[in-house]
Amino acid sequence: MSGQALPYGHQCWAYDDPAGFTPRAEDFLRSGLAAGEQVWYVVAGSEAGAVRDRWRDLDLFAEALSSGAAEVLTLDAAYSGVEVIDPAGQVSAYQMATRMALAAGYSGLRVAAACTDLVRTPAQRAVFASYEQQINRMMRGEAFQGMCGYHRPTLGDRAVAELACLHPEHNVTDLLFRLYAPTAHQGHAVLVGELDPANHDLFRAALEHSELRPVDDELILDASGLRFLDHRTLVHLSEYAQQREARLVLRGCSAGTVRLAALLDLPGVSMEVTR
Amino acid sequence: MRTGPAAAESGYLHEALCYASDDELLAVAVPFLLDGVTAGEPTFVALGERTGGLVRSALPVDSGVEFLTGAGVYARPAAAIRMYRKLLADLTAGGADQIRIIGEVPPPSLGSTWDWWARYEAAINRAYDDWPLWSMCAYDTRITPPDVLADVAATHPHIATAGQRHLPSPDYLAPESFLRQNRPAPPDPIQAYPPLLELTDPTAAQARSAVHQAGLGQLSTEDFDDFVIAVSETVTNGLRHGSPPVRLRLWTAPDRIVATVSDTGKGPDDPYAGLLPPADSTPGGLGLWITYQSCNHVTQHRDANGFTLRLTAGQPPGLTAVTQSEPPGGERRPGGSGDPQLSSGTRP
Repeated sequence: MSGQALPYGHQCWAYDDPAGFTPRAEDFLRSGLAAGEQVWYVVAGSEAGAVRDRWRDLDLFAEALSSGAAEVLTLDAAYSGVEVIDPAGQVSAYQMATRMALAAGYSGLRVAAACTDLVRTPAQRAVFASYEQQINRMMRGEAFQGMCGYHRPTLGDRAVAELACLHPEHNVTDLLFRLYAPTAHQGHAVLVGELDPANHDLFRAALEHSELRPVDDELILDASGLRFLDHRTLVHLSEYAQQREARLVLRGCSAGTVRLAALLDLPGVSMEVTR
Repeated sequence: MRTGPAAAESGYLHEALCYASDDELLAVAVPFLLDGVTAGEPTFVALGERTGGLVRSALPVDSGVEFLTGAGVYARPAAAIRMYRKLLADLTAGGADQIRIIGEVPPPSLGSTWDWWARYEAAINRAYDDWPLWSMCAYDTRITPPDVLADVAATHPHIATAGQRHLPSPDYLAPESFLRQNRPAPPDPIQAYPPLLELTDPTAAQARSAVHQAGLGQLSTEDFDDFVIAVSETVTNGLRHGSPPVRLRLWTAPDRIVATVSDTGKGPDDPYAGLLPPADSTPGGLGLWITYQSCNHVTQHRDANGFTLRLTAGQPPGLTAVTQSEPPGGERRPGGSGDPQLSSGTRP
């Protein structure tokens, strides 16, 4: 995986071979079982039977299937709509399932989902991207972790990048930034990596999908993990905040970014340097 | 009401003051400054430590002349233009009918980095023309090389001399004509050696990574970080606006990092590129301007192979040698450093 370990678990795994996701998903879910979590593996309906058969031959998963600690679900069963999902409804469903898992004595709920069929079209991806950020926010407050699997040959590099950048962790090596939900003290979003013209369109889309809501007329972004921010992105962030009638606050940004903002003389931008 | 030779003008009166002795400098500068104060015009001195001290000593106590001090005023041409444009806009908004400034390019910049100061001198004919400015740019002919004096004559429409005479410069070129000249970039000796790194058509991220690989050396973190920004912007411009292939080459020395970014295109059409932000304020067009703000020297050059920008962070070669030269009988002292500061009054 690229990037450093993050305090909450929402991973994107892009894979090229259909068989490539299951081993990774199983590793992810095995860790959940070891931690006392309930685990779900969500796959296309046509694959669920084969996965269950395989798991019955794997000691840990066979036992967990029997006890109910592990379940194999179809996308139809786990998601509110395969054609176009309902983000808020889906977040609520996972939130309820997490609380039920806790009530049943598990330490949380962990889901690995082969999501390719949910994001085949641009319209599906736009809605799903919004969902990814909403589930990011939910994960900050619930004992819920997830891994989203995307089949790269089916979706293409661009579509995978649109979704991967919204995960705190991903394995897309040439994708240089991430934008995801913060902890309470980090403001409204966390920005990590490098932002420049090569990923500017991708970033604009990610920002739109994130639907950030300023509080007290301030839009606060944690930039302590941001290695590079070019002037176009800085201008865009400033405009994004202004459109929401808020000041842009970049926390933890580099001294170089502060100098760049001073050069551009951008209105309504505050920089808080910590490095 | 505007006073002096620009009384009937609305924009910028840009004069060169080429002097061969300290007395000659004072004979022009002192009346220029005192007349400004008498007329109620904001009047500034932006000279170096030695020449500024001379002028300060020659003015009466509490003359009302203000001193812009510190090497930061003329650290980088694009930064000087940005600072002066803000100062002029603020003063004019405050009701000034005319602003007077006498300044000088620091003597160390009359050497290997003169090329971008020559472009500065040409560009400000337009950059400051929105305001009623009358300025004199002082050049000490005892230490100014002949080729620099030729550029001074070509970039200043007027020449000020003792006796309050203001003559047109016969060698003056319109700024666009001067800036469109394809002047040879002064070579950096480091370029005689093979580059530390050479990349063809790198992404901006790969270019930044290459700079980090080259390392900080003895540069300050600030200079290094700004250089990373400059290289990233320049490579981006090459990829977006130039013609392939785009080549990045990097050299390092203990006191500097040098990068060249070349492509096979013609370079920017705008003769003011780098010195002024683009008129249409398109954010994407700011890259070269930011680059000029972020490096200690930038050259641009066209030849049969295309267009090349050379960026230098740290100490450009040759600056020290020029710093040590002094006018005959002069008492040159090291210049100050840091950001420009405003001080008023005449004597400390």
